[in-house]
Amino acid sequence: MKKRHLAGPFRAAALVAIAGLCLLMWLPAALSQEDIKELKPEALAPQTRPAAFFMHDAHNEKAGIDDCTACHHGKDKDGKMDPEDNSAGTACVDCHAVNARTGTPLKRAYHQQCISCHEQKNQGPTYCGGCHKG
Amino acid sequence: MQTLYNFATGPLLWASFAIFLAGSVWRIYSMIALARKKEMSVYAYMSWGFSFRSIFRWLTPFGTLGWKANPAMTVGTFAFHLCLLLLLLFAPGHAEMWDYNFGLAIWSLPEWLADTLTVVVIACCAFFAFRRLRVPAVRYVTTTHDWAVLLLVFLPFISAFLAKMQLGNTLFMTLLHVLSAEAVLIAIPFTRLSHAIFSPFTRAYMGSEFGGVRHCPDW
Ligand code: HEC
Ligand code: HEC
Ligand code: HEC
Ligand code: HEC
Repeated sequence: MKKRHLAGPFRAAALVAIAGLCLLMWLPAALSQEDIKELKPEALAPQTRPAAFFMHDAHNEKAGIDDCTACHHGKDKDGKMDPEDNSAGTACVDCHAVNARTGTPLKRAYHQQCISCHEQKNQGPTYCGGCHKG
Repeated sequence: MQTLYNFATGPLLWASFAIFLAGSVWRIYSMIALARKKEMSVYAYMSWGFSFRSIFRWLTPFGTLGWKANPAMTVGTFAFHLCLLLLLLFAPGHAEMWDYNFGLAIWSLPEWLADTLTVVVIACCAFFAFRRLRVPAVRYVTTTHDWAVLLLVFLPFISAFLAKMQLGNTLFMTLLHVLSAEAVLIAIPFTRLSHAIFSPFTRAYMGSEFGGVRHCPDW
């Protein structure tokens, strides 16, 4: 009985330590794009199709895209698109609202960016199931 | 296969539209010319009133003796054509392409409903095939042409369904969907599918002749 009481604080400390370690292990991953495997933005929920398959780093390596601004463009002072400005780290939805009345709404922004490049290069999927696979 | 898909959804699509439109105009033009040569009298009794009377009658399920005589076929025909048109215009996948190609956000059917209508069309095709095989009167008049046309119309729907459900190779199914739909488009002016363009004229002609010459309804 006594032993068990003594173990209490130790056990609590051990739990806190493990929880802390877990957090530390997740932190870098949460901050980098490394573990993006599919796109399923909260803003488009509830999704009607399987999430779009997109292995961020592997995709760009395979496609030979070094320039982040190929996708992460910015916004200039007039609210126009700035193709030079690197917005990596800012979510598309921050500039493309789902129901945007002016400019490009979110779903169209994804589709136009992904599909137009695949069409131009004649490489990468352009059919629905090529990106939306379960 | 991806390259072929891009070709099918690009140049081939525009070519199919062009052939469909030019073919339809040509067919209608030559039909008018033929009527002028052989049945000049047609032009005397063609009437808007009798034409639309007949068209609306025959657009009403069970509105005519012909529809009443064969209830199963009537339900099948109406379900088939209605679902086909709704899907062509409002399938969610089609709406998506209006959206990213032309920036047009058009209304579309909910996914579950579109899937259901697709199954209905497939079931109707199966029913039509069954009739051609099993009903003696229908089998007697069935030609290879009829089978080819039925198969052609069946293909876009079965491939759309399989692609959507991600059964089989999705790229292959989507490619088959696009190619077979383009084949249907091209076939419309030149096969029995031409009823898609001629049926209003056929009905207008029948309606006018029965109404204006024989003085009786054509249903
Ligand atoms: C092919 C297009 C593309 C290219 C090229 C690209 N990215 Fe991304 N990146 C995306 C998309 C799409 C997202 C998801 C954004 C969203 O959904 O809001 C993303 C997300 C990110 C995120 C945010 C991760 C998160 O969890 O929110 C970072 C950081 C990022 N990218 C960095 C980069 C950097 C650095 C480069 C250049 C080396 C780069 N990206 C190149 C498409 C691309
Ligand atoms: C810093 C703000 C910002 C971010 C982040 C951003 N965009 Fe944009 N984007 C713009 C602006 C501004 C325009 C021009 C106005 C418009 O079309 O909405 C634009 C235009 C576009 C267009 C239309 C392109 C054209 O040539 O007309 C597409 C497609 C697009 N963005 C996709 C994306 C995608 C995908 C992401 C996320 C990877 C993204 N954008 C992130 C600001 C942004
Ligand atoms: C700047 C051009 C470009 C943009 C933008 C782009 N891609 Fe790609 N993508 C490519 C190329 C090139 C390939 C073909 C790579 C290969 O197979 O060699 C590809 C391939 C793919 C593949 C197939 C990957 C595989 O392993 O076979 C997927 C899935 C994909 N892209 C999804 C996306 C999505 C989703 C987006 C938008 C967020 C996107 N792509 C934006 C160029 C691009
Ligand atoms: C090149 C990749 C790509 C292709 C091809 C593509 N999409 Fe998408 N789609 C995306 C991305 C990226 C998103 C945003 C992330 C998400 O929600 O999956 C998206 C989002 C969507 C959404 C909103 C989210 C949802 O699931 O309701 C729908 C609907 C959609 N796509 C339908 C389609 C249809 C239909 C087609 C074929 C005509 C298609 N897409 C082709 C990449 C693609």
